[in-house]
Amino acid sequence: MSEGLAEGVGVARVHHFETVAQQREATTLGIWAWLITELLLFSALFLVALITRITHPEATVAAARHLKFWIGATNTVVLICSSLTMSMAIAFSRMGWQRAMVRAMLATAALGSLFLVLKGYEYYADYEEHMMPFLSGRPFALAETPAARLFVNLYYVATVLHAVHLLTGIALLLGMTWMAAKAGFLSRHQNWIEVYGLYWHFIDLVWILAFPILYVVNR
Amino acid sequence: MNPLASLSPDDRALLRRRLRTPVLTFLALLGLLAVNVTLGATLPFAHVWAVELAVVGLMVAIILLVSMEVRKEPPLIRLFACLGFFWVCILIGMTLTDFLAR
Repeated sequence: MSEGLAEGVGVARVHHFETVAQQREATTLGIWAWLITELLLFSALFLVALITRITHPEATVAAARHLKFWIGATNTVVLICSSLTMSMAIAFSRMGWQRAMVRAMLATAALGSLFLVLKGYEYYADYEEHMMPFLSGRPFALAETPAARLFVNLYYVATVLHAVHLLTGIALLLGMTWMAAKAGFLSRHQNWIEVYGLYWHFIDLVWILAFPILYVVNR
Repeated sequence: MNPLASLSPDDRALLRRRLRTPVLTFLALLGLLAVNVTLGATLPFAHVWAVELAVVGLMVAIILLVSMEVRKEPPLIRLFACLGFFWVCILIGMTLTDFLAR
């Protein structure tokens, strides 16, 4: 929902919409329809994590103790910071402050990249600790508790899927920042920033769920 | 160099007004995360997971309603967003009913 747009900021109507308001609402509805399918995808993964905890409590706790709790917590802070910069970019777009908006978008992409770097380090530490049961040539550290393999594999599926979404999001954000830096962008495509913001906040929301479900409640 | 130095008093007031909600949301999310991290690191009592999941629920509600601005959207979009979580409730509720009742 856009509110309080500055003079000269808006959306260029395309011919198949009757009004700009209708176009804005259709665009937002479209991204929400897609986000709901994503929500169901991640919810199913988190549900399996909870079931693993219920059916194999000892093995799940043993596996979760190997997760890097403090890296996960730091990454959550990083994504919450990126949500702030994205909200700032949306606010600046509505105010017509194009340069500030572009800087906020770049800051968002930088924080998203920092998340991926920390995640990569976490995976490296997992590799060093033999916590990658899907590697055939590397014995799993918790081989004596087979159910731990279930949880660890699920952890990788969920976090890699999230990382892919984040990587895609950063690529899209950088592409859009390049376009948004051009003159006249905010008078024709201001709602792109709002629609993209919904996606970014959703990535944040998924991690807000993933961190406690995978790292915290299983300790 | 202070980037705010070049702003007029009106622009500063506008900036303060527009960024108030995002900054308060940010602080609320950080505060709730601090609660969960503290609970997760110290495990102060049995069944602490229930409190942790309640805190997560609050964080998700804040992101949806404030950051994603669902509360300001037209009714149709609000309905879509609610339906998504309704389906998640069915998914999780029906499945856990089975596992928890065994």
